[in-house]
Amino acid sequence: MKFDLTLALADRPGQLVRALEPIAKNGGNIISIIHEREKPAEGYVPVSLVVDFPSKQNLRRTIGDLKSLGVSIIKSEEIVETTGVTLILIGKMDLKKLVETRIEDVRVVGFEVSAPTSNEACVKLELEVPTESVSKALAELKKVSKEENALLISSI
Amino acid sequence: MKVLVVGFGFIGRELVKAFHEKLALLKQIDKDFGVIAVSNSRGYVYDEDGLDLGRLLKVVELSEYRKGYRSGGSSVELIEESPANLLVEATPTNITHGEPGLSLIRTALIKGIHVVTPNKGPLVVAFKELTALAEKNGCELLYEGTVAGAVPLFSLVRECLRGDRVLRISGILNGTTNYILSKMYFEETSFELALKEAQERGITERDPSYDVDGIDAACKVTILANAIMKRGTRLGDVERTGIRAVTQEAVSLAKKSNYAVKLIGTIDRELEVAPKLVPTNHPLCVHGTLNAVHLETDLAKEVTLVGYGAGKETVSAILNDVLTVLKRRRKTQQQ
Repeated sequence: MKFDLTLALADRPGQLVRALEPIAKNGGNIISIIHEREKPAEGYVPVSLVVDFPSKQNLRRTIGDLKSLGVSIIKSEEIVETTGVTLILIGKMDLKKLVETRIEDVRVVGFEVSAPTSNEACVKLELEVPTESVSKALAELKKVSKEENALLISSI
Repeated sequence: MKVLVVGFGFIGRELVKAFHEKLALLKQIDKDFGVIAVSNSRGYVYDEDGLDLGRLLKVVELSEYRKGYRSGGSSVELIEESPANLLVEATPTNITHGEPGLSLIRTALIKGIHVVTPNKGPLVVAFKELTALAEKNGCELLYEGTVAGAVPLFSLVRECLRGDRVLRISGILNGTTNYILSKMYFEETSFELALKEAQERGITERDPSYDVDGIDAACKVTILANAIMKRGTRLGDVERTGIRAVTQEAVSLAKKSNYAVKLIGTIDRELEVAPKLVPTNHPLCVHGTLNAVHLETDLAKEVTLVGYGAGKETVSAILNDVLTVLKRRRKTQQQ
């Protein structure tokens, strides 16, 4: 699990090494590190890290250890990897029901309705879905479109 | 090797033509190669010394061949009583009971006769039984022509991906629906109009449901799942959605986003035939009556094959299967 971790380090030699030790000790694999020395504020320098931890618990332990060293945590957020999914729906269906009530963490990022030349409505949806739940989301979308008697055409 | 050809329709006739044209190649592998009988539902022609294929190609009805013609002669009896050791079964497909092909293949395998067939019906209905029968009696059962016609799919997996584990298969397995969807994509015609044109050109049957409702593609998914993925799959296990509900608007919307709508058969955890959006730069995005099969394996990762899935091109697959039997038999005899 990847996390965006931003720390406020005192602008003194050796502070970065000191802060990295608890991350390594708790199984964190540092993917990127940005030491923003040009942005010091009241003697502190922000350091932004992307860290891969085996679990949320490892992150919590790291934060506890950092706090006990006197390091301030500005931000700690999980980075959710998303996949773009394009769909076409043919038929009449309640899109709100489809997108909001049945599937969690799915964001609609694109929407296009065709000029109606037949009795069936046709909508193209572009969704952003957490990568790990794409299959689950597609299965759920398929189920709902079936209930609504619409044809769902998903991408391969 | 003495060969029986059962079925003298379009494919049977094209096959006899290919045997005639490639006789030198066939005899190079097996000097005793000869077609000793050709039959259809009305009777058969038989000559233990080998039929004159050139003469056979000139007749419309088998009865016109005259020599060795038996009106009303049964193909099952022919298999049981002739000294043939290879049956090429090319009767019309029936996916409900597999007949008449199923009984013909079963009879041949029980007798220890090798079988080559492009007929999906018997394999959809009784894949497990027939492959077990072939193994028990030490004979070949090859069916390259059943899926994606001339595309050498089973041969490729058998000969060139021996060490690979096939994880997923997806593909355009029906040329008629690909023709219709391609018309809708390029010419912006409606489904109804594209279907009418396919019927006029003889690409689909008068009753097009076998193609457009995805039944034909589902049969191929069943065979692929059993033959390549070693599953115990039945036709009813394939979730199936055809292309009747695909509108011109949907095809145009997809096109604007660089997708084409294609009827895709998928063998994954689930078995499915359904219209899908295929990115226009994906190797599966082929048009017209072409078929395409995309294999995902543990070692080779991705392999895509493209070719013609029906028509006389299928003879290529049948002929290759026949040559495979001849070569294997020669190898066994040499050992």
